[in-house]
Amino acid sequence: MIAMLKAEWRKASSTKVMWGLVVAAILFACLNVSLLILLRPSAARDLPSGALLTNADYITNIVGSAGSSAFFALILGIIGMTAEYRHLTITATFLASPRRSPALVAKAVLYLLIGAVMGAITFAVSFALAIILLASKEHAPIDGSQALQILGGVVLGYAIYAVLGVALGALVRVQVAAVIGALAFTLIAEPLLGLFFDWAGRWLPGGALRAVLQATSASGRGSTADLLPVWGGALVLIAYAVLFGVLASATTLRRDVT
Amino acid sequence: MPHGDHLHVTGLTKTFGRRRPVHAVRDLTFEVASGRVTGFLGPNGSGKTTTLRCLLGLVTPTSGATSIGATPYRSLHHPLHVVGAALEASGFHPARSARNHLRIIAASGHIPDSRVDEVLGIVGLADAAGRRVGGYSLGMRQRLALAAALLGDPGVLILDEPANGLDPEGIAWLRSFLRNLAAEGRTILVSSHVLSEVQQTVDDVVVITHGRLVHVGPLHALTAAAEVRVRTPQRDALMAALADKCTARVADHDALTITGLTPAEVGAIAFRAAIELHELSAMTSDLEEAFLALTSTTNHGGAA
Repeated sequence: MIAMLKAEWRKASSTKVMWGLVVAAILFACLNVSLLILLRPSAARDLPSGALLTNADYITNIVGSAGSSAFFALILGIIGMTAEYRHLTITATFLASPRRSPALVAKAVLYLLIGAVMGAITFAVSFALAIILLASKEHAPIDGSQALQILGGVVLGYAIYAVLGVALGALVRVQVAAVIGALAFTLIAEPLLGLFFDWAGRWLPGGALRAVLQATSASGRGSTADLLPVWGGALVLIAYAVLFGVLASATTLRRDVT
Repeated sequence: MPHGDHLHVTGLTKTFGRRRPVHAVRDLTFEVASGRVTGFLGPNGSGKTTTLRCLLGLVTPTSGATSIGATPYRSLHHPLHVVGAALEASGFHPARSARNHLRIIAASGHIPDSRVDEVLGIVGLADAAGRRVGGYSLGMRQRLALAAALLGDPGVLILDEPANGLDPEGIAWLRSFLRNLAAEGRTILVSSHVLSEVQQTVDDVVVITHGRLVHVGPLHALTAAAEVRVRTPQRDALMAALADKCTARVADHDALTITGLTPAEVGAIAFRAAIELHELSAMTSDLEEAFLALTSTTNHGGAA
């Protein structure tokens, strides 16, 4: 397993995809931080000037900006898996590891680690930017223990989302289809279902992710009342990843490689 | 020195698709010996690649079995140390360098990184090792695929059309390289759709067409399958005497073309039947003709 993890790390680190997506996650989180601090959300127009940043919940929201980039971890996992099929390197992978499920597990474990690190880095950079941008302004204090809690949620959320991406990629195999499918589901289908069904916000992957990140949406982005607890969200996400992975092992992973 | 295992293909059948099934390989049985270079020959779409992929555990047979020595590929513990395979020139991530491509395989096969530069040197890619594979020519990709196959210093090499895209110099190099590996006791199986490409390299040949075995044996036996021409004033009598022993067809009013017997055997039959012969000769068809004769059947329905 160590050998396979090493091979998977070499695969991930020898193309620009991983680095590009990490940079993208950081940039979007920083954009989120900057806009929240420098502009004024339209929902908060009625508040007196300056009242925004002195609101503790609003500050919490800024600290949790990294959560808004978790989608990049999902894409990273999807591409990491589907690139093997797209460029036919799956042949070399299965020649070295003819028992295929362990090869999938090795990739999932590596992307769990990569996702965790990606979350930690994204949080660290966006947090540092928030401190810098807030320095010259009057603002509510940043709660250190809450920031740590948010960091934990971001690391966990990114890690499981990356694994979910690997499992989904193994099931779908076609890169474009998997990426577009994931985009369409999380950005269109799930919010739409959420408008009509309360369970959608709890039990679908996006809702489960928000539960894991829930410290980050302590205010501003909807209420956390209808979300699962953090551990519940994490379990739901893990269940999706395991379900996709087991389905893939039973179906697509067994297919002939031609 | 790694000794090669024999390869076994036993009753191998592979059918792709359910609604309109394509019989890629049908009841194929042959063995590949160590210490020799075996050519796996057949026209495009005859089932060669499917057979090789079954041998390597990438394709699951519909029925039948394949093994490396006594072990199916999927049960090998360290497969890259036992079998090296170069399947196609396209299994590379275009953005990766050749060195990184090989370092990934080395890591997954418990092979030290120092071996990567060794094999790059062996196949003549040392200077291009840091370049993106996307910019490689077909010949360079073939060399990289061969380098990957050699990484684990395996006793068995399975190469699918390795000469494709190589220049004449490269083909000559490959020929002597494979001969040397076989001389060390390794098992070398090389597929090709052009006999002339491998005829100076191989000891044995396995010929398939439409997924069925049509010939297996030493290369020189291919020529033994050539035709015999016989001229006789008693054409029909000779034809009757040969009837159930070979295929004879009328070439002229006093001549027959016979396949399946040597000139000596035809002569003996004619002598016993007291038939007068005016000419008895082996048609010195070359290998390529023998190969074409073997593979050009009217039997349709096969595919790669």
